Amino acid sequence: MTPILADSAAPRSRTQRQSFLKQIMSMPAGAILLVFVTLQIVCIAGALLYPDDFRYLSPQNLTILMKAIPVLGCLALGAGVLMIAGEFDLSIGSVYTFTAILMASLVGAGVSAFIAAPLGILTGVMIGLLNGHITLRFGLPSFIVTLGGLLFWRGAVLLYNGAVQVRFDPEPIFTSLFSGTLFGINAAFIWIILFVVGFHFLLHRHRFGNHVFATGGNRVAAEAIGINTNRVKLIAFAIAGGMAAVAGIIATARVGSVQPGQGAGLELQAIAACVIGGLSLRGGRGSIVGVFLGVMLIHTITDVLLLLRAPGFYLDMFIATLIVLAAIFNHLIERRGLA
Amino acid sequence: MSTPNLLELHNISKSFGALTALRNLSFHISEGEVVGLLGDNGAGKSTTVNLISGIHKPTEGYLSVDGKKTAFTCRSDSADAGIETIYQHTALVDSLSITRNIFMGRELTDRFGFLRQAEMRDIAMEVLQNAVHISGIDSPDTLVGNLSGGQKQAVAIARAVYFKKRILLLDEPTSALSVRETEALLNQVLKLKAENVSSVLVTHNIYHAYQVCDRFVIMSHGTKVFDVDKADTTINQLTEYVVLT
Ligand SMILES: Nc1ncnc2c1ncn2[C@@H]1O[C@H](COP(=O)(O)OP(=O)(O)OP(=O)(O)O)[C@@H](O)[C@H]1O
Ligand SMILES: [Mg+2]
Repeated sequence: MTPILADSAAPRSRTQRQSFLKQIMSMPAGAILLVFVTLQIVCIAGALLYPDDFRYLSPQNLTILMKAIPVLGCLALGAGVLMIAGEFDLSIGSVYTFTAILMASLVGAGVSAFIAAPLGILTGVMIGLLNGHITLRFGLPSFIVTLGGLLFWRGAVLLYNGAVQVRFDPEPIFTSLFSGTLFGINAAFIWIILFVVGFHFLLHRHRFGNHVFATGGNRVAAEAIGINTNRVKLIAFAIAGGMAAVAGIIATARVGSVQPGQGAGLELQAIAACVIGGLSLRGGRGSIVGVFLGVMLIHTITDVLLLLRAPGFYLDMFIATLIVLAAIFNHLIERRGLA
Repeated sequence: MSTPNLLELHNISKSFGALTALRNLSFHISEGEVVGLLGDNGAGKSTTVNLISGIHKPTEGYLSVDGKKTAFTCRSDSADAGIETIYQHTALVDSLSITRNIFMGRELTDRFGFLRQAEMRDIAMEVLQNAVHISGIDSPDTLVGNLSGGQKQAVAIARAVYFKKRILLLDEPTSALSVRETEALLNQVLKLKAENVSSVLVTHNIYHAYQVCDRFVIMSHGTKVFDVDKADTTINQLTEYVVLT
């Protein structure tokens, strides 16, 4: 018995020696949490020290932040689930625009927004299923299939609508449901929090989520144990498409119109948020909290640079650096995990 | 034939296109019996294991469980029949914890499908501590990616132990293991046998097979060339059959 005890004691003492910092870093979303909290402390300190020059804590600024986060948040949650299942969807930006235009034009034609919005989501789900079906049926990389989807649905927007903006005039209740305020908090922000909680439970506390991680983490093993990985991936594609449509609804309700070009580049920002949030590009790793922190981080940095009146290209360069650093970091964590 | 055998293969053939991997193969596994499946590279051992676990379907012939003819169409069919496979390269998900791996595909959930995490964790802890004595695993929350080859196989075995499997299929389970881990694995097989769990052990190491098996089935070029009880044979004779046929 003695040697076995000695054996099992060794790794434990190694864990004990880990510093508090290292323990946080080894948590699923620990590193991103650390970065996020640090950034917040710096921003809040800056805002308190220079309230006139750096209006980070002004109500206007906080409102802008709360309005901006949900759109990318919805896109990233859907893309994130799909990434954990081991696939990509580059078409979500186009799907986001297409479904929003579909919904807005239906409402323009006299359909209730409470019918048009679910129809938009349904369309997003169907497009996601189509992407998934083509990918899985022919064993193609989803990267290529959904790159096709990106171009196809972007073209479909112009075919269906032309390059003009579409006004969105729903019932007032609909507008207040998505862009009103409750206890001073923006409704869209409440929605995204609900989605984050819902997705967290789905992915980390539900059987389906366990199968998503298994499918992305080791597809052969998941299949050997009897998980229907095609079905899991198909559902994940549907979620990505559906959440793109939800993002479209939230954005459209806020602005009151849809621009045919508005979704361009959002798919990459969503994937960026996922990578920054600790998702592995190979699938099977990551957390919903991480994805959401990734989204908030992107928007906080955007906001700070705007407040500092920095030119827009700084933003792109900053996010680019962040993505690469995050990818390197994730890779190191993975390698350590496999050693 | 008073009590039917746990598992029987009846005149099974399996072709992959033009290649015939198995030809007219028949043998049986009784309850609580450890069968060594031996043979040279390409003899068809892995194909046989995949067939029993439902990954391949026979081109001809059939399987029977408890004397009843069965057709496994996928892996979960054989899982339902009580068959667990432990692969050469173990089928676990590195990015998930030990608990999640043990219960993968058979999660304990409430009626809405939400995981009963605490319960699964307790069971995993219990199985790891009491049924599978493997050193160095201190928590069921450890990610499987951080385990050694032998520890991974212990997790796969824990899965079989907890789900009260009737047959364990082990395809070259010791190929990546240290001497000590191999010893532990072979002891596991014997312990399960004491609980009436049968095993099929595929290995190139005749000494390992001789150490734990009750009976040996030797294959060559997709067919059975020898089927003998341990009492009626020696290591030398087994070696001869493997090498010379
Ligand atoms: N999926 C497959 N498709 C085509 N041929 C296959 C397939 N699986 C196995 N074979 C062929 O069937 C024959 C038997 O292979 P099998 O893997 O069963 O051998 P084995 O006895 O397990 O050998 P080893 O000891 O090297 O693992 C080989 O000739 C192999 O090439
Ligand atoms: Mg083999």
